[in-house]
Amino acid sequence: MTAPVIAYNTFVVAVGVAAVGFAAGVVGSLCVLRKRALVGDAAAHATLVGVACGFLVTGRRDLATLLAAALVSAVAGLGAMVLLRRFTRTRDDAAIAIVIGVSFGLGITLVSGIPAWGYADSAGLEQFLLGHTAALTAADATLLASVACVAAIVVAIGLKEATLVAFDAAFAAASGWPVAVIDYLLVALVAVMVVAGLPAVGAVLVTALVVIPPVAARFWTDRVGTMLLLAGVIGLVAALVGVAVSAMRPGLATGPLVVLAAAAIFGVSFLIAPERGWIARRIRARTLADAWSRGLALDACLRAAGAGDGTFTPVDVEAAVAGDRQGGRRAGAEAFAALVRTAAVAPVAGGRDAWRLTAAGRALAEERRRRLDAWARVIEHDPDDAREALTIDLPAPGAVLGRTGAGS
Amino acid sequence: MNAAASGPSPASSSARPPLVDFHDVTVAYGRRPVVWNVDFEIDEPCLFGIIGPNGAGKSTLLKAALGLVPTVGGSVRFGGRPLREVRSRVGYVPQRETVDWDFPVNVMDVVLMGTYARLGWFRRPGARERELARASLDRVGLADLADRQIGRLSGGQQQRVFLARALAQEADIYFLDEPMAGVDMRSQEGIFRVLADLRAAGRLVIVVHHDLRTAAEWFDRVALIDMRLVATGPTAAVLTPENLRRTYAGHIEVLEELGRAVAARGRTS
Amino acid sequence: MILLADGGLLGGHADIHAWAMATAAVVSASCALVGTLLVVRRMSLLGDAIGHAVLPGIAVAVLAGGRAGGPLVFVGAVMAALVTVWLTRGLRAGGGPEEDAGAGVVFTTLFALGVVIVSAAPPGTHIDPSCVLHGDLTFLPFDTVPVAGLPVPRAFIAGAITFSGLLAAAVATWKLQVFVAFDEAAARAAGLPVAAVTFGLLVATALATVASFDAVGAVLVVAMLVVPAAAAELLTRRLHTMAAVAVALAVVGACVGYLAAWRFSTSAAGMIAVVLGLEYGVAAVLAPGDGGLARVWGRLALAWRVAREDRLAAVWRAEESGGERGPATWRSLLERCAGWWLRADGSLVHTADGWRLSPRGRRDAEMIVRSHRLWEAWLGRHAELPLDHLHPPAEWVEHHLGAAMRQRLEAETGGRENDPHGREIPPEA
Repeated sequence: MTAPVIAYNTFVVAVGVAAVGFAAGVVGSLCVLRKRALVGDAAAHATLVGVACGFLVTGRRDLATLLAAALVSAVAGLGAMVLLRRFTRTRDDAAIAIVIGVSFGLGITLVSGIPAWGYADSAGLEQFLLGHTAALTAADATLLASVACVAAIVVAIGLKEATLVAFDAAFAAASGWPVAVIDYLLVALVAVMVVAGLPAVGAVLVTALVVIPPVAARFWTDRVGTMLLLAGVIGLVAALVGVAVSAMRPGLATGPLVVLAAAAIFGVSFLIAPERGWIARRIRARTLADAWSRGLALDACLRAAGAGDGTFTPVDVEAAVAGDRQGGRRAGAEAFAALVRTAAVAPVAGGRDAWRLTAAGRALAEERRRRLDAWARVIEHDPDDAREALTIDLPAPGAVLGRTGAGS
Repeated sequence: MNAAASGPSPASSSARPPLVDFHDVTVAYGRRPVVWNVDFEIDEPCLFGIIGPNGAGKSTLLKAALGLVPTVGGSVRFGGRPLREVRSRVGYVPQRETVDWDFPVNVMDVVLMGTYARLGWFRRPGARERELARASLDRVGLADLADRQIGRLSGGQQQRVFLARALAQEADIYFLDEPMAGVDMRSQEGIFRVLADLRAAGRLVIVVHHDLRTAAEWFDRVALIDMRLVATGPTAAVLTPENLRRTYAGHIEVLEELGRAVAARGRTS
Repeated sequence: MILLADGGLLGGHADIHAWAMATAAVVSASCALVGTLLVVRRMSLLGDAIGHAVLPGIAVAVLAGGRAGGPLVFVGAVMAALVTVWLTRGLRAGGGPEEDAGAGVVFTTLFALGVVIVSAAPPGTHIDPSCVLHGDLTFLPFDTVPVAGLPVPRAFIAGAITFSGLLAAAVATWKLQVFVAFDEAAARAAGLPVAAVTFGLLVATALATVASFDAVGAVLVVAMLVVPAAAAELLTRRLHTMAAVAVALAVVGACVGYLAAWRFSTSAAGMIAVVLGLEYGVAAVLAPGDGGLARVWGRLALAWRVAREDRLAAVWRAEESGGERGPATWRSLLERCAGWWLRADGSLVHTADGWRLSPRGRRDAEMIVRSHRLWEAWLGRHAELPLDHLHPPAEWVEHHLGAAMRQRLEAETGGRENDPHGREIPPEA
C-alpha cells in the first residue's frame, strides 16, 4: 500500500465514524430525555445475532449485509422486550436485562460456533464485539456517514414532536399526537444508530455512544436544541479521538478508547460546567453558607453591643455562629475574620481582646434585621412570592418583588 | 328512587346533542374495573366539578374521556361526535406529577406546546403562536417568567404554566385534573379566576377536584363519583348530606369485591 | 450418571465434563440466589452494571499478581462493584444524570477501562480480551488442586465456597432482605439497617459475579443473575419458593447448556444463556395464573360458562314471558354447543312440548336471573343510571355473583321483590 492511499482511507473512515458519533449523540439525547436511556443497550446486545445470521444466511461478510441483518435482529430484540412487558408480569428493568443477556448469549453461541462449524472465511465476526475500525473501507465509511446524516435530518425535522412527547406524553396524547408511533420511531432511530456504531465501538459498548454524550451535554445548557447539538459534537470528538488512538496502537480495540474519550469529556463536564457543574455548585453553596454565617455573626455583634456601644469578644460571636450552624467553631472564626476584613468591627484600643461594631457594621446589622422582618411579613401574606424570591443572601424584598419593602 | 325518576334518556329530545356525554363508561386497569357504568351529560358551558374521594376513579374517568385509557364499555362523545373528530377543540391540563421538572425547557417553550396541535406535523411555531403564548402567560400572571427554566418555579407557578398551555390551545372544552393539588390558597384563587373567565367566555370547564368546601363555592354543576356515579346536577342540589354520605362512607365494597371476581374470571363468594 | 459413564454419551473425558458442569452449576446457582433479590428490588440493571464493572477490578488484581479465582481477585471485584454504586449514586447527588443513564455512563466506562487494562497487560497473564466477554468454561477443569487426593478444579472450589457462603448469608439475613426489598421506607422507619442490607446485597452480587467470571465472562453474568429469577417469579408468588425455583432452574440450565454447547461445538457460556432464556419462555407460557396458556384457557373457560348460563337463563325467561321460544336459533357455534351440553347433562329435558328445564336446570337458571335482577336493583338504587341503561351491565355481572353477594345485594336494596323494570326477582334456592 502506498502512503497516499492509506491517508485517504484513514481520512474517510475518520469522517464516517465521526458522523456516526455525532448522530448517535443527537439521537441518544432524545432517548435520555424520554427516560429510556438503556433501551439502546438491549438493541445493541441483540445485534450480534443478526451479524452472525447475516453471515450464515448470505455467506457474505461485507458491512452493508451484516449491518442490515444486525438491524433486523436489533428490532427483533426490542420487539421481544415489548412482548415481555405487555404479556408477562416481569418488571421493565428485568425485561431489558433478559433481552440483553439471552440475545447476547445467542449471539455468542453463533459467533463462536461458526468457525467450529466449518465455515471458511468467517474470521472477523468477533470484531463486532468491541469494534475495530482498522478493517473499514472507504465505501463502508461512506455508508455509515450517509446513515448518520439521514438520522440527524430526521431528528431535525421531527424535533418539535419528539420534545413534546419526551416532556409530557399524556398531554401529547390528549392533544391527538400518536405517542406510540413517535415512540416507535425514536426507538427505531436508536436501533439504527446502534447498528451504525457497531463497526466503530462494538456491540458491548455502543450504548455508551448513545448515553454518555447527551448526559455530558446536559451539564452545559438548559435548552433542548443546544443540548442535542452539543451531544452530537461530544460524540463526534469522542469518536475521532478513539479512532485516532486506535490507529496508533493497532492492538487495541477501538470501542473502549471511544468510550473512555467520551467518559473523559463527561468527567470534565461534570466538574467544570458553569452553573450545573460540581465545582460551580460547591462554590455557590459555600458562598451562600459563608454569607449566612457572616449575617449570623453580625447579628450576634448587634445583640452583644446593645443599643449603646457595648463591646464583645470574638469568642462570644463565634459561639453564636457555631451554635446556629453545623459548621462549628471554624465557621464562626471565619465569619468573624470576614467581619474584621470588611471593617464591620474594630478593636477597642487598649482593651483586652474587646471589640465593638463600627458605624458601617451597625448599619449592615440593622439593615439585615429590617429585611428579615420584611420577609416575615411577605411570607405571611404571599407565601408563593416568598418562596419564589427569598434566598439565603437576603435581598431587599422591595427590590425583588417590585413593591415597597413592607409587602402588599 | 333514582332510576325510575330519571325519565327517558335525553337523546330522544330534539335539542342539540349534549356538549359532553359520558355514556355507560366502564374502565378497567388490567382486568379490574375502576369506573363502573358512569353515565351523565353536560349540556351547557359551565364550571363543572367531578368530585369524589381518593381512588374513586375521577382521574381515570377524565383520562377515559380524553382517550388516554381504553374503556371496557361505554363511550364519551362531544357534541354527539367522538373525540378524534373534535380534538382541536378540547384542552387538557394533566396532573403535575407526570412531568420531569428538570427537563431543559423554559416557560415559553411549554406554553408554545399548546399550539402544536393546530400547527400539525413539522411546522414550527411562528409569530402568531408566540403572541398567543404571551397572551396566555399574561392571563395567568406569569408574563415576566417566560424565560425561566421550569424547574425553578414554585408549585403554584408550575400549575399556572400548565394552565397557560391549555389556554394556548384555544379550546372550547377544558379538562383539568386536580389543578389545585399542592397549590397554596392564593394561587388556587388565581387559577379559579382564570377558569371563571373561561366560563364567562362561553367555554365548558370540567375539573377533577378533591376539596368539598371549595367545590361548593366554585362549581355550577358537579358529578359525585365513587367508582360509579352517585349523583349529578346543580351543586347545591347534589352536595347534600345524604349524597355525601353515600359517596364518602363506602357502599363500594360491593364494587371492589365484584371487581376482584371479574379480574379473576370467577364469582364472588 | 449414565450419561457421564465412560464411553457413554460423552465419550471419554467424562470427568472433565462433569467438573465443568459442576462448576457451571454451582456458579449459576450463586447468581440465581443473588438475582432473586435483585429482580425483586428492581435492581436488575444494577446487576448488569456490576457484571460489567468488575472487569477493571479483576484486571488490576490479576496484574498485581493475583491468580484467577484467587482471593485477591475477589477483593478487586468487590471494590470495583462498590465503586460502581458509589459513582452512580454520587453522580446523581452531584447534580448529574439519574438512575439508568448514570448507571449506563458508569458501567460502560469501567468496562472500557477494564478492557484497555487487559489489552495492555503483558502477554502471558491469565486474562485475555475475548475470554473476558464470554469466559472459557471448557478449560477451567484443567486448572486443578488436589483435594483429599482428587484433582479438583480451582474454579469449582471457588464457586462452591462462594455458593455456600452466599447461601448461609441468605438464610441468616432472609427476613431482613425480604422486608427491605418489599418496602424500603418502612424498613428504614422501623429502624432496620437498610444501608447495610443493600450493601450486603451488592457485595454478594460482586462475589457471585467474580465467581462466574472465569466461566462465563463479564457480559453473560447478567443472564445468570436475572433470567432464572425472572422465570421463577412467573411461577410462584412466595419469595423463598422463588429463590429455590430460581436456583433449580439455574442448575438445570447450566448443565443442559453445557451439554448442548459440547454437542454443537460452541461457547458454553452462550449456550447456557440461551437455555436459560428458553426456560424463561416456557415459564411465561406455562405459568399458572398469568402464563400465556393459562390466560387463553381462562378466557375460553369463561366464555364457555357464560354461553351455558346465558342459554339456561334465556330458556327460563322465555318460559316466564309465556312465549314458546324453546330452543330458538342461536347465533354462534359456542351457544349451539352450549345448548347441546345442557341437554346432555340433564339441565334441559325433552318432553312432549319440546325442550324444557329440568328441576336442576330451573334452579340454576333462576339463580342467574336472580343475580341479573338484583344487580339491576342495586344499580338503580346506588348509581345514577337511567332505566334503559341497567340491562347491559347486568348482562355480564350476572355471571360473577355468588350466593353470599346476592344475599348482601338483597339486603342493600331493601329486600324488594321486583327489579326496577317491575319483574319479579326469583328467591334464593
